[in-house]
Amino acid sequence: MTTTTAPQVPAIERPALGARVRETFGDVVAVTRRDLIRTARMPEMLTFAVIMGVFFLLIFNYVYGGAIGAGSGVDYIQFLVPGVLVITALTGSQQTGMGLAVDLSGGVVDRFKSLPMSQGAVIAGRTVADTVRNVAGLILVIALGIVLGFDVASAAGAVVALLLVVGLGFAFSWVNGAIAAKVRNPEMVSMLSMFWLFPLMLASSAFVPTEQMPDWLRPFADMQPVSVVSDAVRALSTGNPANGAVLGSVAWIAGLTAASAIFAVRAYRRP
Amino acid sequence: MSTTVNIVSPSTTPVPASTPIIEVRNIQKSFGDVVAVDGLSFSVERGTILGLLGPNGAGKTTTIRMLTTLLPMDAGVATVDGFDVTRESDMVRRSIGLAGQFAAVDEKLTTRQNLDLFGRLYHLPRPLRKERVKTLVERFEMDEYADRLAGALSGGQRRRLDVVAALIADPPAVFLDEPTTGLDLRGRLALWEQIRAIRDDGAAVVLTTQYLEEADRLADRIVVIDRGRAVAQGTTAELKARLERDVLEVAVASEDERDAAVAALGPGGVTAIDDRTLHVTVGAADESLAALRRVQEAGVRIADFQLRRPTLDDVFIELTGQKVVPDEAVGTTPREELRA
Repeated sequence: MTTTTAPQVPAIERPALGARVRETFGDVVAVTRRDLIRTARMPEMLTFAVIMGVFFLLIFNYVYGGAIGAGSGVDYIQFLVPGVLVITALTGSQQTGMGLAVDLSGGVVDRFKSLPMSQGAVIAGRTVADTVRNVAGLILVIALGIVLGFDVASAAGAVVALLLVVGLGFAFSWVNGAIAAKVRNPEMVSMLSMFWLFPLMLASSAFVPTEQMPDWLRPFADMQPVSVVSDAVRALSTGNPANGAVLGSVAWIAGLTAASAIFAVRAYRRP
Repeated sequence: MSTTVNIVSPSTTPVPASTPIIEVRNIQKSFGDVVAVDGLSFSVERGTILGLLGPNGAGKTTTIRMLTTLLPMDAGVATVDGFDVTRESDMVRRSIGLAGQFAAVDEKLTTRQNLDLFGRLYHLPRPLRKERVKTLVERFEMDEYADRLAGALSGGQRRRLDVVAALIADPPAVFLDEPTTGLDLRGRLALWEQIRAIRDDGAAVVLTTQYLEEADRLADRIVVIDRGRAVAQGTTAELKARLERDVLEVAVASEDERDAAVAALGPGGVTAIDDRTLHVTVGAADESLAALRRVQEAGVRIADFQLRRPTLDDVFIELTGQKVVPDEAVGTTPREELRA
């Protein structure tokens, strides 16, 4: 073949496993790229998503800061920043559900489903794109937190902590993706997300220690992913022993992602 | 350019040009108690357009969705480019391009970015992808809005992009589901040109439409479907030839007299009503005279009449039993749309 001839569309043949893996990777990259372009072209959505965390940090610092800081002898900003990071990841992941539901209820999904692309790529690409956007919001929270007096004990700990938060956001994106793949109606998805978003957010150690919660609530409040990751990030940032909480976080992240991914891909293909 | 290929060993011989790309055998689909597609069979060869013609709800879209792997079929067999739609759906998806009823492009991407995205998802290598996008933008005259967001395109431009997006990987089989719905006359004519170009490039095209004129102008073969069944198949000429009877058109002087005229012609006599014009199927010439006399004797004033050969329109009405009755809600779509 010389360079002057126009490239020809290759004959259709069954790809080998290696090629298939490369194709799948390419599909996820293509969808991620598409979703990031979309995000960049909807600046109001992007701004809202990114400043959400800053908003939480300011409100909670000035609303609860006095009450908690005075009573427990804890430096509240040191307590609050890890929690706000986790909540930022959680609320940021809601956009995965909305965005995907819009795709799945529109005409473009029929084209996606008729393409030789990997069937999980539409959801996977969305979760990756939303995770990238999430990182922007997290960095903003950390920056403001440092201004307000937040400190980290070690750089290594900070990196692990950030990875856990980003990982949890990714896992929650998959949960939202699974719900959207099943429900497909944007209004319904956003309403449903309230039902699990608020309990996870408020019945957690994100903003206040769980010690003051009633006995019946504490097992849930201590074990649920928002608390486990908040506690892990807190321990890592203060330099306290964190192994148990880190392991628990990894388990939650892996479990939520795997279960949601399996469910989501199945629900996606359903006519 | 049909050539006789001497098939010695079918497995190694190149596919002859006359071998169908799309083969559909007795496919069926029900939704609950509703039978949407009831044993449809047809085949489409390379470089030809098959028109699936039928009214709303005839099962056209369901058929397309089954053949493009979006919907599992209940029974029957379909192959595209030699791959079984049910068992080898992943390979079928490598062989097809689909443009559905709703413009399935990303509004937040430009024309070029949309084509590039779909090129990526067909796994075209980068140089080929760039080349295909460039070629298609030129071939289908989209330069003017190549870098405009799809959301800012006119209806016709967007539909054009939608159809071109199905061609990015030059697939052997192209499915177009009511591609001209909602387009104005100019947009429709432009898209017809485009669809002919796809055929001329060698693809097997399945086109669904409820516009008789569209099927007449574009399709090499037509399958008329009604309530999920094929009620007729053939070329336009073959379908028209099936109607040996002529059509008498009687225009009455006022709308008030229309019902009296219908009554005079008797049940089953009138096949369609168009404002003040009644369409009556007649055999010999004296049958026309008798019909006219009956109308006159009922006290209806005849403003005009003519006797003509049947059109595809008449075939459609004859086959699907869809009559345009005075109650305007029923079955007026094809005729009304054609005049629009």
